[in-house]
This record gives sequence, C-alpha cells and structure tokens, in this order.
Amino acid sequence: MAVTKKTKLSREEELLLQDFSRNVSTKSSALFYGNALIVSAIPIWLFWRIHQMDLWQSAILFVVFSLVSTYLVAYAYKNVKFVLKHYIAQKREEGITKEMMSKLSEDKEMTKKEKDERVLWKKNEVADYEATTFSIFYNNALYLVLLIVFSFYILKNFNPSVNYVLSVGSSAGLLALFSTSSK
Amino acid sequence: MAATTSKMLTILVLAVLTVFTSADVCLGPVVKSETYTTSETTVSTETVFISQFTLTCKNGLQNINLFADVAGRMIPAVRTTVTNQYQITITDEYKALRSGNYESRFYDEEGFSALKKARRNNEDVSTITPLFTINISHGGVWQGTYIQSEFVAACVAILVWWLAFSTKSKLTP
Repeated sequence: MAVTKKTKLSREEELLLQDFSRNVSTKSSALFYGNALIVSAIPIWLFWRIHQMDLWQSAILFVVFSLVSTYLVAYAYKNVKFVLKHYIAQKREEGITKEMMSKLSEDKEMTKKEKDERVLWKKNEVADYEATTFSIFYNNALYLVLLIVFSFYILKNFNPSVNYVLSVGSSAGLLALFSTSSK
Repeated sequence: MAATTSKMLTILVLAVLTVFTSADVCLGPVVKSETYTTSETTVSTETVFISQFTLTCKNGLQNINLFADVAGRMIPAVRTTVTNQYQITITDEYKALRSGNYESRFYDEEGFSALKKARRNNEDVSTITPLFTINISHGGVWQGTYIQSEFVAACVAILVWWLAFSTKSKLTP
C-alpha cells in the first residue's frame, strides 16, 4: 500500500534505479548493436578472402548469421557491462566524491542532498561510460579469439560454409554464455 | 680376279663407311640452354629439373640421338618438335635433389655406349669426354614459412584477450 501511494520517485531514487537497472539507454544500445554488427561482419571477410567462400552465393548465410551473431554479441555486451558497472562504480566512488566535493565546495547555496545527488549522478555516468567501453573491448577480444581458434584450428577440415556457420554460431553463443557469469 | 675385285670393293665400302660414321659426330657443338628447377613446395610434390636446349653442329648435323648423365641418372634427351631442340627432365624427392650445381653431361650414341660399358666394367668414366655439358643450378626448395599466419593471428588475439581478461579480473573482486 505504501508503495502505491508514492507514485513519484525522487530524483535520487531514479538515479539509484538507473544505477542498478539492467536496461541500457537508447544511446548505449545503439552503440552496442552498432559495434556488435561490425564485429559480426568481420568473419565475412575472413571466410570470403581466406577460406575462399563466394561472397554472393553465400550472401544469405552471411547476412543471417551476422544478424544472429550481432544479437548475441550485443547481449554479451549488455551483461558484461551490467556486471562491471557496479565494480567500477565502487572503485571510482572515492575519487569521484573527492573531485565533485572540491568542485562544489565553492557553491555555498547548494544543499548537502543536492551535492550527494550530483556525486551519485557523476558516479553513475563515469561507471556507465567505463563499463560500456570496457565491455565492448573485452567481448570483441574474446569473440575474435574464439572465432580464430574455431575457424582455423577446430573446424579447419570442414567445408567453409559449415565452418562459417559453426564458428560464428559457437563464438557468439559461447560469448553470450560466458557473459552470463556473474564474475 | 673376281675375288680381288670383291675384296677391293669390301675395302672401299668399309672406307666409305668410316667417312659416314665420322660424319655422325657432331663437330664443335654450340648449345643454347634454358633450365627450370622447382623453387617451392606449396604447389609441387617433388623437385623437377627441366633443361631445354638447342644444339648446333658445325658440320650441320641435325636431330641426332643424345643421352644425358645427370645426378647419377642416365636418361635420353627428348627431341622436341623444333629442329635441333632437345629436353631432359628429372624428378625426385626434395631430399634427393638438394640445392647446388648439377653438371649434366651429354653424349651421342657412341659416347653413351662407351660410358655404359665403362660403368658396367667399373672403369674410370672421366676418360670418356662428353659432347658438351650443361650446368643446372638448383637454388633449393622453399618449404614455406616456419610460422603460419593464422598462428600469429591467434597469438595476437589471445594476447589482447589476456590483457582484457586480466584488467577485468582486477576490476572484479
């Protein structure tokens, strides 16, 4: 009952929610999908130029698996970002608080609550940015390792089409799977 | 009388025959040759030596039968469709034909049978002078790079991932 009564959340609560929510903003979502698409399209070049697949004959296969892989890679980005964001926020908390306080100390009119809000907002922004970029970097590196190992070593004796499907599918799938671990 | 005439005729025929036989020897051979040797292993399974040459004799002898003695092998030289052009080919494992200079000695039928005879009787073959020689210079075969490019790619990718992973481990307690 008490919850329903309080329909409007305070700014601080909103920030906290944003801090702990799994949802990503449209901007970072676009960043994730854009990056995931680029990374998922890289194997096309590999299988076209190195494994000698025909670009036009296999176009449907390339498009379908690039899209599937894009979805899975973006999913992994989101998960890793969510996990990392909290740790980064904890690591940076002290530094950000110090910096913000020294910046805001000149402003005598600002209330303590408002200052805390500013700090929380800044912390959220810094952690979000760091977690987003690091998640993209980490997942890209892991995806490419998996892809190279799958396509050149594990599946090297397969027909290129099968090799493409399996290596892209398993790399993206494993990436998504690893991203669900909480560490 | 008849016997004397036939004897004389025989001598005459024999004398004429020696003239013919001496005409079979290529005098002052001038050779223009081109050689090919396998240079790498990726598109071949064995080392191949090919030598193609044109032989010009001062006495105008054409299309004679030639034999070659190269790298311990005795092979006939094949006449091509072009007049006075010949070719020899040798194939063997990479290990059997190492890099280096191979002197191929060419003989006509007479020289070749003398060579075979000398070999058979374990005699010194250096006394039989070849008609001419061609040097086949083999630079060895390139076995490909020691490290494959995908291995380098995999190593770089693993290194980058390892850096990312260790950074991630530092962030997460």
